[in-house]
Amino acid sequence: MNQDKVFNRKISSMLPAGFLVLVLLPLLLLPLASVFIYALRGGLGNFGASLITADVLFALRFSLIIAFATAVINALLGTYAAYVLSKTRFPGREQLGIVLNLPVAIPNVVVGTSLLLLWGPIGLFGQMLEPLGIQPMFTPAAVLLAHIFVTFPYMLGTVKPVLDDLETTYEEAAYTMGASRWQTFLHIVFPALKGGLLTGSLLTFAHSLGEFGATVMVSGNLRLRTQTAPLYIFSQFESGNIQAANSVAAVLAILSFILFSLILFLAARTGKKGAQRGK
Amino acid sequence: MEAKKEKLSMSIHTASSVKYRLVRRTAAACIMLALVLWTIWPWLPSQRSNRPRTIVLYGFSILEPVITRGIFPAFQKKWMAETGQSVELISSFGGSGTVTNQLIMGVPAEIAILSTELDAQRLKKAGVIRTETWKELPHKGVINRTPFIIQVRPGNPKKIHDFSGLIQPGVRIVHTDPLTSGAANWAIVAEYGAAVRQPGSGPDAGRSMLRGIWRNVVVQAGSGRAARTQFDSGFGDALITYEQDAIWSLSRGSSRLEIVYPRSTILSEHTVVVIDSHVSGKEEKLIKAFVDFLWSEEAQRIFVESGFRSVDERLNSSNPRFGHIHDPFFIDDFGGWQKAKLSIIDDIWRNRVLKELKP
Repeated sequence: MNQDKVFNRKISSMLPAGFLVLVLLPLLLLPLASVFIYALRGGLGNFGASLITADVLFALRFSLIIAFATAVINALLGTYAAYVLSKTRFPGREQLGIVLNLPVAIPNVVVGTSLLLLWGPIGLFGQMLEPLGIQPMFTPAAVLLAHIFVTFPYMLGTVKPVLDDLETTYEEAAYTMGASRWQTFLHIVFPALKGGLLTGSLLTFAHSLGEFGATVMVSGNLRLRTQTAPLYIFSQFESGNIQAANSVAAVLAILSFILFSLILFLAARTGKKGAQRGK
Repeated sequence: MEAKKEKLSMSIHTASSVKYRLVRRTAAACIMLALVLWTIWPWLPSQRSNRPRTIVLYGFSILEPVITRGIFPAFQKKWMAETGQSVELISSFGGSGTVTNQLIMGVPAEIAILSTELDAQRLKKAGVIRTETWKELPHKGVINRTPFIIQVRPGNPKKIHDFSGLIQPGVRIVHTDPLTSGAANWAIVAEYGAAVRQPGSGPDAGRSMLRGIWRNVVVQAGSGRAARTQFDSGFGDALITYEQDAIWSLSRGSSRLEIVYPRSTILSEHTVVVIDSHVSGKEEKLIKAFVDFLWSEEAQRIFVESGFRSVDERLNSSNPRFGHIHDPFFIDDFGGWQKAKLSIIDDIWRNRVLKELKP
C-alpha cells in the first residue's frame, strides 16, 4: 500500500520531465541524434577513417587553436572591459555597455563583411597596411579577428555581474590598509572573479569552436590553411559527403558536451563556495 | 564511543576523497596536456623543416573531387619524381561567381579555375589581373568541356525529353543562381540556344523558352554542386546541370537520377586563370609546371575518367558514359561571352523574362 503511494509519487514527479523530453524530441534531440546516426552509418571504421584525413585533422587543430587564442584574448579584454564598466563612472557608460553587447545580436555574416570592408584590400586599414605588404584578411589572423568580435560579449556577461555584486567595502578596506590598485585587484577582486572568468572563457571557447557565419566570409575557406571544422562540415555537406560531414560534427558535439559539463560543474562548485562564505 | 567512531570514519572518508580528487585532477590534466600537444603538433619546431611547397588554387564547385583526388595527386607524384620535392595543394571550391568575388576581395589564390570566361573577364575588370592572361594558355585557357543536360527522376515520370519538356505545367525545376553560379549562366544560354536552333523556330522562341522554364523554377542554388545536393535529397523533378556532375553522381552509385540529353545544347568551357600578381618569383616555376600539367595527356585522361570531356577530342571515346548530342553548340556561336552576357543573360533573361514572371 505504502509502496504504491511512493511509486505513484515517483511517476508524477517524472511527468514534467517526460513531457519536456517529448516536446524537445523533434526540436532538439532527434536532430542531434541524427548527427551521430549519420556519422556512424558506415560503421565505426568509416567513422574513424573520415576523421583521420589531412583536411579533418588540420581543421580540428586549427579550430582548437583559434578557440583557445580567442578565449585567452577575450578573457583579458572582456575582464578589463567589465572592470571599467562596473567600477568607474563616466558619461556614456551605459551606452558603451550596450554597444559592447551588440555582437550577440548582429548577424555573423555582417560581422564578416564589415571586417572585410575594414581590413580588406579596399578597406581603410587594408589600404594603410598594403604598402607594408601586410594582408590580414584570408589568413588565420582574420579568423581570429572575427572570433574575437563575435564572442566578445560572453566574457562581459559572466564577469560584469560578479563585479557589480562585489561589495566595494572590501576594496575600500584594502585601500585603507595601503594596498595598491593592482594588489587590491589581485587579492580581493580576482579571487571572487575566478568562477565567472572560467565560465566566460569556456563559453567563448565553445562558441568560437562552432563559429561559422563570420568565418566563412573572412577566411577564404582554404583547406589546410584557414578552413575551420565548421567550414569543413559545410563544404562536405554541399558536396554531398554527408557521412564525412557528420563525423566531424559528432566530434564537435562531443567536445561541446564536455565543455558545457565543465561549465555546469564549475558553476555548481563556485555556487557552493559562495554559500559557504555566506555562512 | 559513538562520536569517536563517527570522527574516525569521517577522517577516512576525507583521506580517500582527497586521494580521489588528486587522481581525478591528474587524469584531467593529462587529457588536457595530450589534447594541447596533439593540437600544436604540426607547428612544433621539429616538424617545421619538412613543410612542403604549396599551390593555392580556387576552383568552381564541381571540380573539387577531380582536382583534389585525381589531378593533384598525379601532379604531386610527377613533381616528386622530377625534383624530389613534395608539394601540397591549398584549395577552396565554390560557385564560380562566389569564387570570383572572393578573388576580387583579395584571397591569396595563385591559380583560379572558373566555370565561365565571363568570370575571368570580371577579374580583369576589377584589376586582379592586368591582362587577359588566360588567352596565352593552350586552348585560350579552356581546360575541359562538358555539355549541359537535364537530370530527371528514375523512369522519367514527367516525360521530359528535351528542354521543351520542362515548360509543361507542374514540373518543378532545380536551377542554379546566375548571381553566384557559372553553371546558371551556361544553363540559360543552353536553354535559349536550344530553342533558337530548333529548325523552324520563330524569332521569339528563345524568350518564350526561358519564360516557360523559369516559371517552373522552384529553387535557385548557389552553385552547381549545391544544386545537385538539393536534387539528390529528393527536391524537384528536374535539374539542369553539367553532364559531368550527373556522370559523377551515377559513378558513385547514386540511383536517384537519369540523364536526358537535349537535342541541342551548349558545351560549357572552363577557364584557367593564373593570378600572376600573387605568384612570387620563386614559385613561378612550380605554378607554370602545374598549369602545363593540366593540359598534359595524363591530366586530360583523368578529366575524361571523371566525366569531363577533354579538349583533346581523341581521348573522349574512352569514357562510355558520354551521351550523344545531336546538335552541340558553343558560346562562340553567340559571339563569345561578352556579347552573350549582354544580349541573352542581361537583356532577355533579366530585363524581360524575369520581369514578365514577377510583375
